[in-house]
Amino acid sequence: MTRVPRDFANWCAFPALAILGFVFAFAGKAEQPWDSIGSDPSVRNLLDQYCVACHGGHDPTAALDLSVSRTGAASGNADHWEIWEKVVRKLLGRQMPPSGLPRPAESMYDSAIARITAAVDRFATDQPNPGRAATFRRLNRTEYGNVIRDLLALEIDVGYMLPSDEASHGFDNITVGDLPPMLLERYVAAAEKISRIAIGRPGRVPDAHAIRVPPDLTQEGHIEGLPIGTRGGVVVPYTFPVDGEYEVTVRLSRDRNEDVEGLSRAHQLELLIDRERFGLFDIKPPPRGIDHRNVDSHLTARLKVTAGSHDIGATFLKDPSSLLETQRQPYQARFNYYRHRRTQPAIYSLTVVGPYGSSGAGDSPSRRRVMVCEPADESLADACAERIVRTLAERAFRHPVSDKDLAGPMRFYRLARDSDGTDSGFEAGIENALAAILVSPQFLFRIERDPPDSEPGRAYRISDLEFASRLSFFLWSSIPDDALRLAAARGELRSAEGFERQVTRMLADPRSQSLVNNFAAQWLHLRNLDAIRPNMRLFPDFDENLRQSFRKETELLLESVIREDRSILDLLRADYTFVNERLAKHYGIPNVYGTRFRRIALDDDSVRGGLLRHGSVLTVTSYATRTSPVIRGKWILENVLGMPPPPPPADVPELSEKTISGELSIRERLAEHRANPACASCHNPMDPLGFALENYDAVGRWRMLDGGLPIDPSGELIDGTRVAGVADLEKALLARPELFAATLTEKLLTFALGRGVEYYDAPAVRAVVKAASERDYRFSSIILGIVASSPFQMRMPQ
Amino acid sequence: MIVTKKALPRRTFLRGAGTTLALPLLDAMVPSLTALSKTPAQPVRRLGFVYVPMGSDITRWTPPGETALGELSPTLSSLAPVVDDVTVITNLELKNSYPGTHATSNAGFLSAAKAKWTESTDYHLGTTVDQIAAQRIGQETRLPSLEMAMDLVSMVGQCDNGFACVYQNNLSWSSPTTPLPAEAHPRIVFERLFGEGGTPEQRRAALSRKASLLDWVKEDANRLQAELGPADRTKVGQYLDSIREVERRIQNAEQAATERELPDLDRPVGVPAQYADHAKLMFDLQVLALQADITRVVTFQLARETSTRTYPEAGVPEPHHPLTHHGNNPEKIAKVAKINAFHVSLFAAFLEKLKSTQDGDGSLLDHSLYLYGSGMGNPNVHDHTNLPILVAGGSASGVRGGHHIRYAEPTPLSNLHLTLLDKVGIHLDSFQDSKGKVDELLQPLSI
Repeated sequence: MTRVPRDFANWCAFPALAILGFVFAFAGKAEQPWDSIGSDPSVRNLLDQYCVACHGGHDPTAALDLSVSRTGAASGNADHWEIWEKVVRKLLGRQMPPSGLPRPAESMYDSAIARITAAVDRFATDQPNPGRAATFRRLNRTEYGNVIRDLLALEIDVGYMLPSDEASHGFDNITVGDLPPMLLERYVAAAEKISRIAIGRPGRVPDAHAIRVPPDLTQEGHIEGLPIGTRGGVVVPYTFPVDGEYEVTVRLSRDRNEDVEGLSRAHQLELLIDRERFGLFDIKPPPRGIDHRNVDSHLTARLKVTAGSHDIGATFLKDPSSLLETQRQPYQARFNYYRHRRTQPAIYSLTVVGPYGSSGAGDSPSRRRVMVCEPADESLADACAERIVRTLAERAFRHPVSDKDLAGPMRFYRLARDSDGTDSGFEAGIENALAAILVSPQFLFRIERDPPDSEPGRAYRISDLEFASRLSFFLWSSIPDDALRLAAARGELRSAEGFERQVTRMLADPRSQSLVNNFAAQWLHLRNLDAIRPNMRLFPDFDENLRQSFRKETELLLESVIREDRSILDLLRADYTFVNERLAKHYGIPNVYGTRFRRIALDDDSVRGGLLRHGSVLTVTSYATRTSPVIRGKWILENVLGMPPPPPPADVPELSEKTISGELSIRERLAEHRANPACASCHNPMDPLGFALENYDAVGRWRMLDGGLPIDPSGELIDGTRVAGVADLEKALLARPELFAATLTEKLLTFALGRGVEYYDAPAVRAVVKAASERDYRFSSIILGIVASSPFQMRMPQ
Repeated sequence: MIVTKKALPRRTFLRGAGTTLALPLLDAMVPSLTALSKTPAQPVRRLGFVYVPMGSDITRWTPPGETALGELSPTLSSLAPVVDDVTVITNLELKNSYPGTHATSNAGFLSAAKAKWTESTDYHLGTTVDQIAAQRIGQETRLPSLEMAMDLVSMVGQCDNGFACVYQNNLSWSSPTTPLPAEAHPRIVFERLFGEGGTPEQRRAALSRKASLLDWVKEDANRLQAELGPADRTKVGQYLDSIREVERRIQNAEQAATERELPDLDRPVGVPAQYADHAKLMFDLQVLALQADITRVVTFQLARETSTRTYPEAGVPEPHHPLTHHGNNPEKIAKVAKINAFHVSLFAAFLEKLKSTQDGDGSLLDHSLYLYGSGMGNPNVHDHTNLPILVAGGSASGVRGGHHIRYAEPTPLSNLHLTLLDKVGIHLDSFQDSKGKVDELLQPLSI
């Protein structure tokens, strides 16, 4: 155990006995591999020549002391590893030395990085520190919705039932350790409602649900999902809890005068269920002198429908004489009362009320999923109930259940069965047991337990079942399915082939769509699109249709990378994209008609393609009135390069009058701003990256002029590489693919573990990137690397 | 508790003809509510705010009396049955709402703050008086506050040029950057207040079902706690605290259900087609929310600024907003006054309901303090001076009614806000541009 430090002899040379005591105490500490890094010439020379002038002396910059007394051999500092990881990060990104100061040669950078990482990584392989993600985590809103879908074959409007979760480290599945009373109430209410809908016992009174169409949706043309030959409207999947009669009511959009918008002549509106018409109405402008009160009061119809999910829609019949297409461009948006009024009526809301006179629970997908048996007679009811409850509980709790686990839900079953008093007592009992399962902490929380024999400081492998849960919540944002739990139970997840088989299967499964609309939507800030409201005077053709198209383009690109297992570098360099007519018009791409999205190949000189050219990304990184090179630069640093700038200091100095004067261009204003040294240290890396995207305006359109002045898209990377525009920028980013791969890996790892990535994760990230680089950075290689990594497979005990 | 008279079954409005038909809840129910429980020892303090847009024809609004509200003005005449609970305050102003716009009339009414001139998401106002109250007296109830409105349309691009729609849509702001959206759909308000409703037995059954679910959660969590490591045990401990807190709220609700018996409550499904029916329903929901002590702070926008709603039921088929730019045409002014009087009559009917509902040692009106008015004075010129303002109720907190306070000089509306907060036990030194309190509102110290 007591290994003598290499330079023990030197220490012995000290004459004082008092020091000897210290020496022996110190000698008790094992040598760490990084102890010698600071004395290795390839590192030491670089530090001494380029770093210690600032990071040394009495008052080292950023309190980081890289001088020999601090980082040299045997300086005895336990936090060395963390310091070295910091150094590696700065060197790898060429962030240091700051621009303007002398820089080492590329080979010097590389050999120093290689020396440091070799030492640390070797250590990490021998004694991994997988860290410790919170072991007690609540299902967040997105996960809850997915879990209900998978557990009960039930699509719920989870946004209506649960509040949104706060994000940290860029994701909303990190700070989920607590369940305050307000939230608990919502989860309990959700459990009651969901259990009733799933079993299909109608409530006491008809339920009602209003679907509101976003007010800035243009409804002058065809809406995707509705039949050809229709115009405007809305179509949504709606879960009907039981067989029965339901009433559907439509209200038309009104202006601030309470008049129906765009109503200048007669129109026809139809109601659709699964694309079949069940109602057709005439809408006419009222006679002169009569207000619009009754214009839409007759738009209501009843229909008989079976339990389960159906697509319900309302739309207008397209008027063949309408020649809107021939109107002069550019305005496609029509919702703005002041500037571009609707020319035809639009749907404001669709309300579904029911059931009236239910004919029974019917045969809904939820019931088929839940009712794994049906009691032939009363005497078999309890045995069947137990089977149903056990199956539900095993899926919901993600582990085999004991009789103790079942006792509670079964008590609720009996309670409701006995008190129901009707012949549907069995179903009332199942519903009650389901509610009990859905409020159990074993369901609401993901819990990982330290094994009883765990030793402090010694990482251990998590159990197979815990591993299965990590996998499914990572790739599906949901619970494991039966196949995955079975594989875990059989011990098949222990081998690399075993979990690779599962990962491949899971990525091919539609549930992995959560990597797009949950993980990537947060990583790329696509979630913010909903809150984006470009200034309506400057960008009058921005509407909900464009917002949806933006999102769809980016989602489809991500999907193509995942489904076709392409290189993640395609996210930056794709020579194809996905557009519909709305988006193509916005981008100025000709010959694309209709609302359907299709993949198109792009020429070399196209200004579309990778993420940096997507309207979604360019818009979420802009202000309402103008582009922001600062935000765009920050977005690239954070999400592509993995070098997030520090948060703005508390004492941000005031901008001088000159800086904020409107007469200067943004470039000049920001240059003025960076002249202040307090601003420059953070803005120097940020702003010049954003400048390279200046050819895209605040809603992602290509432009050559801004305010009559020609755009100057020249920018600069942190390492001093000069770029002129987006193509150059992409080329420069792709020249260092390992940076983007490491960034995506860290983001995925954060999302997968539910904790921030720490310095001790760096060896694992490097291993993932290295392995992926040998497979052309295919998406699956990144995912498999993460799944195989020690932070994902192991945990540090308390 | 015994409900003395049988309440009419309210199911009718769910069955029958159309689902969008929903009768006002209380019209037929109020008589059965008169026999209520004994007094809680401490009177409950409640605060409500009702907003009307585009001012009022002030000549027909201002009562003739100098100090006593003897004779009511034409616009206020419907307040006669509750005149002793009403005080009119003349010559209040909103300085921070200038330059005059519709957006700042609404935004300034409860904030008395200056709205940042922006159409974008960087809007900035001030915490409104109701939310200051909610952050204190609202903590004792299930909902800290309730925000209601009448306009279902969520506006985009239809607001006063230069000001984001949030200023015109939202009366309540819980911070200078957090507007609280108001709900105009009666059913959604109802569900926030009462869940799914039903008969008192059904509601009690729903509560006890919830309580038994929580019991089981507690049991399961306790079992879990024994199996976990120390850190996670702490987590479960916090979780158990949450469960206990929710249990406490349910017990409170069960207690309230016993002490403050409400009749059958069926969820209103749609929105009544007629404005007056819709407004009555929204007022009824306020009565129920206050009576059941689910909330103690309410704001209600009776119509939105620039609304061009027509009021044929009040004899005004012309749209409201254009009428208010009357150019001093006497005919148009008379029609504006009709709309003003119509709005007041809806509020008067609500006050009567509060007054006829027993609460503690008095009526619900005695224990509720309502401010009614507009953030605009003369709509013809968009000014914010000489606002139509009245205060109702609150006699249990020493507010005196039956008076007309007439200021010689324009006085900040925020003085009144400060006074109202004072009356519900929140003592601030100042509120926005306030220069003092409305001392005249206090009951003189006699007997």
